[in-house]
Amino acid sequence: MAEDSEQAKQSDWVKIISKRDGHSFIVPRDVAMGSGFLRNSFNPEAGFLEGTQNTCEVDDRAIIVEKVMEYLAHKNLYAKAGPREEIPDFQERIPPDIALELLMAADFLEA
Amino acid sequence: MSSTHGIPRPKPKIKPPKPRGPGTNVQEDWVKLSHAIKEIQNERANQLSFEENYRYGYNLVLYRQGDFLYKNVKTLIDEYLTQLTEEFIVPAFAAGNHADPTTRGQEGELLMKGLRKVWDKHNSSMRKLSDILKYMDRVYSVSAEVPQIIPAGLKLFLDNVLHRKTSPVQEQVVDAILGQIQVERDGYTINQTAVKECVEIYLQLEDQSAKQVYFTDIEPVFLAETRKFYVAEAEKLLQTCDAAEYLRRVEQRLDSEEARAYYYLSASTSPAVKAIVEANLLSPHLDTIVSMTGSGLDAMIDANKTDDINRMYRLFFEVSTHTGGPQAFRKGLRESILSRGRLINETNDPLNGGPDEVEEEKGKSKQNTPVQALSLALKWVQDSLDLKDKFDLILKYALLSDRTCELAITEALGSFINLNPRAPEFISLFIDENLKKGLKGKSDDEVDIVLDKTITLFRFITEKDSFERYYKSHLARRLLLNRSVSDDAERGMLAKLKVECGFQFTKKMEGMFNDMKLSADVMSSYRDYLANTTAPAVEINVTVMTSTFWPTTNSGAMCNFPPELLQACGSFERFYNTRHSGRRLTWQPALGNVDVKVAFKAKKHELNVSTFALVILLLFEKVADDDFLTYEDIKNSTQIPDPELQRQLQTLACAKFKILKKHPPSRDISTTDSFSFNSDFTSPLHKIKISTVASKVETQEERRETQDRIEEERKQQADACIVRVMKDRKVLGHNELVNEVTRQLAHRFHPNPAMIKRRIEALIEREYLERREDRKSYNYLA
Repeated sequence: MAEDSEQAKQSDWVKIISKRDGHSFIVPRDVAMGSGFLRNSFNPEAGFLEGTQNTCEVDDRAIIVEKVMEYLAHKNLYAKAGPREEIPDFQERIPPDIALELLMAADFLEA
Repeated sequence: MSSTHGIPRPKPKIKPPKPRGPGTNVQEDWVKLSHAIKEIQNERANQLSFEENYRYGYNLVLYRQGDFLYKNVKTLIDEYLTQLTEEFIVPAFAAGNHADPTTRGQEGELLMKGLRKVWDKHNSSMRKLSDILKYMDRVYSVSAEVPQIIPAGLKLFLDNVLHRKTSPVQEQVVDAILGQIQVERDGYTINQTAVKECVEIYLQLEDQSAKQVYFTDIEPVFLAETRKFYVAEAEKLLQTCDAAEYLRRVEQRLDSEEARAYYYLSASTSPAVKAIVEANLLSPHLDTIVSMTGSGLDAMIDANKTDDINRMYRLFFEVSTHTGGPQAFRKGLRESILSRGRLINETNDPLNGGPDEVEEEKGKSKQNTPVQALSLALKWVQDSLDLKDKFDLILKYALLSDRTCELAITEALGSFINLNPRAPEFISLFIDENLKKGLKGKSDDEVDIVLDKTITLFRFITEKDSFERYYKSHLARRLLLNRSVSDDAERGMLAKLKVECGFQFTKKMEGMFNDMKLSADVMSSYRDYLANTTAPAVEINVTVMTSTFWPTTNSGAMCNFPPELLQACGSFERFYNTRHSGRRLTWQPALGNVDVKVAFKAKKHELNVSTFALVILLLFEKVADDDFLTYEDIKNSTQIPDPELQRQLQTLACAKFKILKKHPPSRDISTTDSFSFNSDFTSPLHKIKISTVASKVETQEERRETQDRIEEERKQQADACIVRVMKDRKVLGHNELVNEVTRQLAHRFHPNPAMIKRRIEALIEREYLERREDRKSYNYLA
């Protein structure tokens, strides 16, 4: 996903900051690219602030951001899984109390 | 986790999500967003936070302001495009009609570059807008059934820049493109990339019916312009270029137009352009090009310009396939062959040239120079072979062995060969010459090649029966005079003819070979027989020929044998009759030859002369050396017919070896001449072969005779054929009968319907057939 030569020059890691409580997450770039929102914000061609600083602030609680990143990692891990490989269900790992908020964040982040 | 999953099942303790962002003030969000959009358009995106602006869009859509957002963004783009157009395109408009192509080219280039710049800027900003407004694209555009922002941007570009109502961008750009192409066609270099980039815009834009704008805005105008250009071009080229150059230009045009279409227009335009070039440069001028004086197809063939011919072939066959190219080319090919053939026919055989009187006159002069006539005949064949070789080479290298061209060549060769009524005779003479002398010093393989080539000519002949007749008489001469170099070569040739024409054709010739073999056997047993009886004074060698196998055209001539010969003949006749009763032997002195020892003053020479010449010489044996015999004397005592006698006397008195003296001396024999024995004759050779003055190319009379015989034979064949067909069918209509007979006889000669009709009438008279009541068909009468 992040195999553009352009991006290869950049750091393989990006920083995601939760604006609400200041937690920051350092995630591999290709994991972050699983989200359409993050992909666009780090797109060097578009040249937005995020792209130049490799940092993106998100207006969500850290716990939500963490879960989203967990999902993206999960997605990245099994994206190339063969058809016969068993893919664990991610739903079991979603705590019901944040489900709705997570859903909205996911909608926003295109995850 | 998918956004389209809907609301999850209600579960206890779900906290309501906090509203995103602090303010939900739509107006405020829009102000910020519109500011951001302008920043993006001014290429200052790096100062913007993607997250923030994305959120503005997100909020606006979320709070049901999608419609508002969409419309306003479009307005912003609209304004932006107007600004760009005014800035980059309008100033580059062509000032006026400049005659100077360079200035025009530069202006056009400027305009195209301007357009491209606007396009690039617009696209770059649109990509960023699309990123920021992704949420709108995903959620609002889909449900509102409006195009996403990028297609919407393209449409805005089309409406607002290209099809701008307030300034003539469209006309100017199309003009510029066409201008550039025109400049390039005129042979100048242009900035192809600029045109390519400009055309690309048109290829990427689509109109309402999802058709690329290129096909409505550019292609038709371009094609019209192209047509106009090539109409003029054709006229110009036809006046200034020869055929080879013309075709070279056409090819260049085709190539460059194709390259142009692929490189900076659309590949799909290529066939249309090709068709236009073809329709203007080739189809209307096919015949003109082929027959261009001094440079057309004929001239190319003359100069062996394989490349030019090949180019013409390619252009005519590949490009003008359906507009008569192949036909025109083949016609040119045929005409070229025919005119060459006619030339060969005329230069090598003046006999066929003019009306009858001229023919007679020439015929006479020819009789005087038979050797020359022979060489002309041989030259005719050689020339024909050369012509065929030439065209074979052209066919192979320039025409890539095209089947239809091969057919045209064959047809044309055949028709010119058959235009020469003496073709069968000449070809047979050629074979004769090759089997007789030519083979000496040539290897078997070479012989084979020559003969194979000759066979290809033979294939063209329609009058095969006529060839058969000549071949037989030439073969007879070779066999009897023992001149054929190798029996193998003879049989090889015969085998080839057999392959061509079947067993019937060569049956009689094989019979001739057989007779030679049988005669050899007969002679050896005759010698045994002589050993037991008293041998006659003269030793003879007899060839017994079956009369139906051997041609007897010239053998009617008889003479009075001197007693020595009569005795010898009688001896053989007696011997032969003891072995085969009931066979009649007829002596053919015209075909024989004799070895005779003659005592001259200086020394004795052994002469090999024809039988007739011997008979004449023997007359002088009884005459004193200085005495004369008049022509009449000789004629009376030998009874040799006039033409033959004249020929023999000419041989003896006027040729290289003058055994007789003629009074008065001259080259020709007249009936008032008288002759005496030339006892002063000397020669370094002991053995002298005096061959009768050759008359190998037929004289007019012989030719007429041969023709008559052939006619006669054809009548018989036609009769036989008609009867055969009728016996099979019993009842047959006239036309069917004529067709069938023509078909069956075609491998021998080309019967004409009138002749068949006469034969049918003759058969009706002889009561083989009868007319039916309908007057259109016949019954077979058993």
